[in-house]
Amino acid sequence: MTSTPERTAREHTTLSGLSFGGILRSEWIKLRTLRSTVWCYAIIVALTIGLGLLLAAVMPSGGVMTQSTTPSADAQQAAWLQATTLGIGFGELVSAVLGALVITGEYGTGMIRSTLTAVPKRLPALLAKAIVFGVTTFVVSLLSLVATALLTAPLMPAKDVHPDFGDGSFWLAIVGGAGYLAFIGVLALAIGSIIRNSAGGISAVLGLILVAPVIVQILVGVTRSKWAQNLGSFLPNSAGGKMYSYAPTATTPADGVVSLDPGQGFLVLALWFAVAFVIGAIMLKRRDA
Amino acid sequence: MIEAVNLTKRYGSKTAVHDVSFTVKPGIVTGFLGPNGAGKSTTMRLIVGLDRPTGGSVTVNGSDYARLRAPLREVGVLLDAKAVHTGRSARGHLLAIAATHGIPRSRVDEVIGLTGLDAVAGKRVSGFSLGMGQRLGIAAALLGDPATLILDEPVNGLDPEGVIWVRNLARHLAKEGRTVFLSSHLMSEMAQTADHIIVLGRGRVIADAPVGEILALASGTAVRVRTPDSERFGALLAADGEAQVSSSEPGLLEVSGLTAPRIGELAAAEGVVLHELSPLSASLEDAYLALTQDEVEYHAGGTEVA
Repeated sequence: MTSTPERTAREHTTLSGLSFGGILRSEWIKLRTLRSTVWCYAIIVALTIGLGLLLAAVMPSGGVMTQSTTPSADAQQAAWLQATTLGIGFGELVSAVLGALVITGEYGTGMIRSTLTAVPKRLPALLAKAIVFGVTTFVVSLLSLVATALLTAPLMPAKDVHPDFGDGSFWLAIVGGAGYLAFIGVLALAIGSIIRNSAGGISAVLGLILVAPVIVQILVGVTRSKWAQNLGSFLPNSAGGKMYSYAPTATTPADGVVSLDPGQGFLVLALWFAVAFVIGAIMLKRRDA
Repeated sequence: MIEAVNLTKRYGSKTAVHDVSFTVKPGIVTGFLGPNGAGKSTTMRLIVGLDRPTGGSVTVNGSDYARLRAPLREVGVLLDAKAVHTGRSARGHLLAIAATHGIPRSRVDEVIGLTGLDAVAGKRVSGFSLGMGQRLGIAAALLGDPATLILDEPVNGLDPEGVIWVRNLARHLAKEGRTVFLSSHLMSEMAQTADHIIVLGRGRVIADAPVGEILALASGTAVRVRTPDSERFGALLAADGEAQVSSSEPGLLEVSGLTAPRIGELAAAEGVVLHELSPLSASLEDAYLALTQDEVEYHAGGTEVA
């Protein structure tokens, strides 16, 4: 099997060096060679399509919001969008867990030492991880949301909802939903790079998505204050949730209560990511691996 | 070529590596020897920039590791066999590392063959034995065909065949002109592999010399003498003043302080019949123990040495 090594050297004809393209390719190989990745993406696809079809089948005529047999064109599109994006609320948890695991899994197994000896400047590795995971999550989410939209459309007329495929705002909201799932994922990745431990990283991210809104709700209930309501609007999931809402300007907010539009919601979520990523990057650069 | 200058690493109040300076030269196998906890692994981590030195510096081929344009092409490193995601296959792991430097798939297959992993390359690493993990780590170190190899405890967990394989590999790589730096806490292993040995104890270099010198350093050259006339001859040698003579059984003397030829001459002059006259080289293991006996952090029995 293994006797004396006859040949360890090879021809130094085309020696390539370390490059960012190579690091991106490396992270892509890492992502797709783990079973957990495949499972998590399969769950996102199944949840999105399954829950979308379920809501489309059981929703009352005219959609959940209006329940009118002659809903407005906007209300019809909103009902179709609601069915299409119902799975996002669950898919975001999967995306967050997977995002945290992309980096904490390397710390847990020791892989990070192999990664950082190959990329000793470190930051390109973290950046490549975020790009590869973010883009992959975006593409998978977008494909499953588009598929859900197409699959739910035939069920809608029975609910007095007639999908308009030429409606740009509908498709923009679909893209926003995919972007939301991707950004929640890379936010989790950035938090994972700070905490470096799978259990801790996942807990922190799920705490931010699931527990923080509840705490803010309690605050709102107890203090009945506008600042508590406004605080809630800037949490990652409520700000990001605007990215896939339909005609959000239709409701007029009360005085002094912030209501974000989809673009602002995206910016707030992007800011959450940017802050966590910068902290993670600084700590990655400074700490011993 | 690896050069460490006044390298120091502190973790909190504990100094793992203390003002260490050494040079690892190409073309030979340099052994890095020391008891567990002596700072060998920390030093190796400092070389490849995983840990940041508290003081001093270390360079590979005259450059900081992090500044190398193609780190894996210049330095191959096995820090521990566990630096692998256990959910990935061996081939997937190697492909991912190779991709960073644009190393082609053919080279990945080559190192898989070289390390004898062909049969298990597609299997997930979680099922690997310690020995297979070591082979995978060595395969990763060889990927970039580097001029410098740093292997931390490469024979750990290997079966006897694997140990011989690593030994031959290290010697072969050095013969090709590469810098080979490998650590072990086993002197016997070093004796068979290394040309030059750096001994580390409690974070300090306590010896840095060719294998032969390390041996001589600790061995008071003793000579075994077997003679039927042991009592008279022993007294005669002891009377000389320079020699220490001890006897563990009748007819057998152990003499230190005199060379074997000199003892032979004395025997001839006195007409003493000799049945055996053999110089005893202290084993490397003895030399190592003598060198490090004060430097071991924890002795068996749990008594901590202050």
